[in-house]
Amino acid sequence: MIFITGPLYSGKRTFTQTLPGHNLKMRADVQNLAADAADLPALADRLAHEYDILIATEVGGGVVPMDANERADREAAGRLACLLAARADCVVQMFCGIPTVLKGELPTC
Amino acid sequence: MLTLVLGGAASGKSEYAESLVLKTALPRYYLATMQVWDAECAARVEKHRKMRAAKQFKTVECPLHLDAVRLPARGTALLEDLGNLAANELYDPTGAGENAAAAILRGLDLLAAQCENLIVVSNEVFSGGADYAGDTGRYLRALAQVNNAFAARADNVVRVVCGVPVYYKGVEP
Repeated sequence: MIFITGPLYSGKRTFTQTLPGHNLKMRADVQNLAADAADLPALADRLAHEYDILIATEVGGGVVPMDANERADREAAGRLACLLAARADCVVQMFCGIPTVLKGELPTC
Repeated sequence: MLTLVLGGAASGKSEYAESLVLKTALPRYYLATMQVWDAECAARVEKHRKMRAAKQFKTVECPLHLDAVRLPARGTALLEDLGNLAANELYDPTGAGENAAAAILRGLDLLAAQCENLIVVSNEVFSGGADYAGDTGRYLRALAQVNNAFAARADNVVRVVCGVPVYYKGVEP
């Protein structure tokens, strides 16, 4: 599984079009699944098993929110990202359209 | 050796910083900065205490006045984190107020002189917008001033992204 993270509108989905392979199963915005998950490691296992590409928008890089629920959601999203990165063969961080491989190697054609 | 470990919320920065400490010899000091206000703080402290259990850390509470810390012996100190410390120094009535950044940097210097390894955890809170007024703006400026000045004098600067360490300066020991 390839895990792609990065800020909002940093080119995460566009980048997946450059990846080799057909019929790759992809899921974006996985950060939104974290808040309601009772068991984050189980969710990470399921996602990693089910998809070839997972995309999460980084949401933990701003000022700590005033609202307790927002803080908890942000925490869960970050934790899920750590769990997915640990399970990924390759982790890519996007920054204004530029990919940086943080873990493993990108698949070649 | 001075190391700055940075990361966003739930980025895995604490676990990574602790893994660095575990590569060093005893004694190990954990300099805790959080003032416990409510159940959420208490839960966070408890989570971090659990992570440190069995790792032979001696906890030193220092939510304010870093310059007053005297470590009993030379070893490794893990300070967590600058985000709390900056908020405490800025807003606590007994804190340094507008001199928060300078006070923290002086404290870090004094601390560095007392240990073989100083590992400092700090927070990336600068990517959620660019127009902060008043107290929030003051806080962001103070924290950035401490982050950047400590990064300049640190041997290692590492940013933790979803649990993966990325070195911007130095190499992983």
